[in-house]
Amino acid sequence: MRKVVYAVLGVAVLAVAGIMIVKALNNSLVYFVLPNEYARDPQGFAGRRIRLGGLVEPGTVKFNSQTLTLTFTITDSIKSYPVVYKGAPPDLFKPDQGVVVDGRFKNGTFVGDQLLVKHSSNYRPPKPGQPIDVNMLKKTLQ
Amino acid sequence: MIHLQLGHLGTASVFLAFGLALYATVVGALGAQRRDARLQTSARLATVATFLVAATAVAVMEAALVSNDFSVQYVANHSSIGSPLWVKIVTLWAALQGSILLWSFLLTAYTALLAFTAPLSPLRPWALAVLSAIQVFFLGVVAFLANPFHTLASPPANGPGPNALLQNNWMMAVHPVLMYLGFVGLSVPFAFAMAALITRRPGSEWMVQTRRWALTGWGFLGAAIVAGGWWSYEVLGWGGYWAWDPVENVSFMPWLTATAFIHGVQVQERRRMLKSWNVMLIALTFCLSILGTFLTRSGVISSVHAFAAGPVGPAFLAFFVAVTLFAFGLIALRWDQVRDRAELDAVVSREGGFLAGNILFLAITFTVLLGTLFPLLVEAVSGQRVTVGPPFFDQVTLPLWMLVLLLMGIGPLLPWRRAEGASLRRNLAWLAGGFVVSGGLALLLGMREIYPTLTVALAGYNLVSLGLLLGQALVPRVRLTTRSPWSVLWSYAHESRRRVGSMVAHLAIVIIALGVAFSSGYRVDQQVKIDFGKSTTFQGYTLTPVDRFMDRSAAVISSGAIVDVSKGGRHVATLRPRLNVFGSSQEPVAKPAVMYTFSHDLYLNLDNTIGPNTSYVVLRTIYSPLVSWIWFGGLLLVVGVINSLLPARRRWAESRAEAGAEETSPA
Repeated sequence: MRKVVYAVLGVAVLAVAGIMIVKALNNSLVYFVLPNEYARDPQGFAGRRIRLGGLVEPGTVKFNSQTLTLTFTITDSIKSYPVVYKGAPPDLFKPDQGVVVDGRFKNGTFVGDQLLVKHSSNYRPPKPGQPIDVNMLKKTLQ
Repeated sequence: MIHLQLGHLGTASVFLAFGLALYATVVGALGAQRRDARLQTSARLATVATFLVAATAVAVMEAALVSNDFSVQYVANHSSIGSPLWVKIVTLWAALQGSILLWSFLLTAYTALLAFTAPLSPLRPWALAVLSAIQVFFLGVVAFLANPFHTLASPPANGPGPNALLQNNWMMAVHPVLMYLGFVGLSVPFAFAMAALITRRPGSEWMVQTRRWALTGWGFLGAAIVAGGWWSYEVLGWGGYWAWDPVENVSFMPWLTATAFIHGVQVQERRRMLKSWNVMLIALTFCLSILGTFLTRSGVISSVHAFAAGPVGPAFLAFFVAVTLFAFGLIALRWDQVRDRAELDAVVSREGGFLAGNILFLAITFTVLLGTLFPLLVEAVSGQRVTVGPPFFDQVTLPLWMLVLLLMGIGPLLPWRRAEGASLRRNLAWLAGGFVVSGGLALLLGMREIYPTLTVALAGYNLVSLGLLLGQALVPRVRLTTRSPWSVLWSYAHESRRRVGSMVAHLAIVIIALGVAFSSGYRVDQQVKIDFGKSTTFQGYTLTPVDRFMDRSAAVISSGAIVDVSKGGRHVATLRPRLNVFGSSQEPVAKPAVMYTFSHDLYLNLDNTIGPNTSYVVLRTIYSPLVSWIWFGGLLLVVGVINSLLPARRRWAESRAEAGAEETSPA
């Protein structure tokens, strides 16, 4: 009798723990996407924290050193989005540089709280006018 | 061509060590199987020879590093002429190949030590054979897959030096060695457990013989984890120490299962229960340490597609599978002997507490494993690239940690077998008092965050528990003698070393828990821009960047700001957050400046490059309460372990009391 009670209790505890774990996992999964992948399904990422990867579009970088706000446009040559990042640009941050920003979309603008500069020896930004190899870009930024 | 010989000498020693380990395994197993004393002795001597040859290999590598012999590939890839001597020495474990060489060396050292210190028993030959077999794997990897001694026909004039993040702090000299000492230490009880299963002696013999080794390994691993946290704090510039990063997780999982093991062992010693459980825990600990090496060294964690990239990854995966099959297969084969026949008398008992604690540790391990492996799973199934963020680990493990703290207080107060009603109720009342008083105090002082508040309440509860434990041990002793309570405490600490050691370790955990709760619950993190000569206030401090500076040495160029820190008009510290550029690398790494105090740290990280014409600094300013308690707690944990390991002084007080009792007792 006692064994049955323990078994039932054990299964119940495991079930509750399982549900909690799956919920927590689902809530804290952070997807890594390029702008064009986000554009395909904005609803699917609504309110979710994501890691947005891409290149810094030349001529779009603005840094307000009074409010410490950095704005630029992130692009994968198919789709571009404006990014607002609260903080100073990292040292290696420059136009055409590969970056990964963590944050959320708010009204079409990506509000980031973490900005990583990705340097890689095997990815070269294309010459002006040439398309970007999106798969290569994604691989490089991961 | 003297430098060419260095590389060749290294390769030769690695191959010789591999051959000797193979010999020790085969001859040792044969000797154990046939109970042939001569073969056993030969295998024992071979383990010592392996150690000497492996030591030669390490010495050769160090000689090559220190003498800048760039004809050795590892030196050319990871060392640099301009580095300070200490960096050259620790470069041995700054990259994969050297780390595995060091790991192999430590393993041979432990095995040789064991061959000569372990008492002669039916377990010893098999345990040495198992350890030698593990050596065969590690030395095989060094010899065939990751030989650091490859020689270069045309050596470069200089090398790039080790990874900048590793050079940035002296902790790099300590943390990896502690980690390997931990892993290697825990493979000793594993080997004895396997020997016990092979020889059908699944009693407590293997555990008693390896109690010290297990505790040593566990202590080193714990110290390594705390040291790693400190390294991360001092180097990475975000003011944190734990990010649930895969590399951190894989070192944490074996520690969790080893923690369960050293607790489970006590139940088996006292009650002859949890036999199969303990064997499984130590097997799991060993398997997880191999799995961790595979996950972090093969690149699978960063991408599934890099799966076949390194030659070491598949080897560790294969070894992990082989070890898991061997260990758990052997347990299944001997299930009849390790199965528990006794049942718990009552859930509310010491053994019940230990068992519940063990289940919690395993639940935390499982959570960490799931969170670490889940991205792999998702990517393999859907191709989507995901990461599991810290919120997952926090959400799931925090409630479990609270339960661990709860059990840690009540468990040691419960008697074995079955708790009596009256004394249990009295103890519980005290504990509840500690919980309510400290929790209430926290609320009064304005704490509202659930987990930090709960941690404070549980810390009070645990302090009461420690007080009760100590009181119940000391009060009768004090009554029996005329000595002062302090001297009684002193001799108690020397006699009941394990008991006092565990109290110290539990106190250390309470201190670490408080440090973690406050530093993560109440940290203030801001980015501020300050013009040189101007001031800004942050958490009661006035920060004034007074000047810029630039230091240049052969190995590193640093530039940064000199920040004056004052409080209430009084100068308290001068901090120099900086950016370092090491050797030939172009990449600057930030080196934060930290003001350590008892109650909080002030942490400044430089977020902009300071040149001769820069007129302002951008600082990440972090105020982190009680964070230094974590480092102190780590140290105290080590003290507790050492106290448990030292041999107990003869119970002279007791024997004297007994003698006295005999004299006075009526014959």
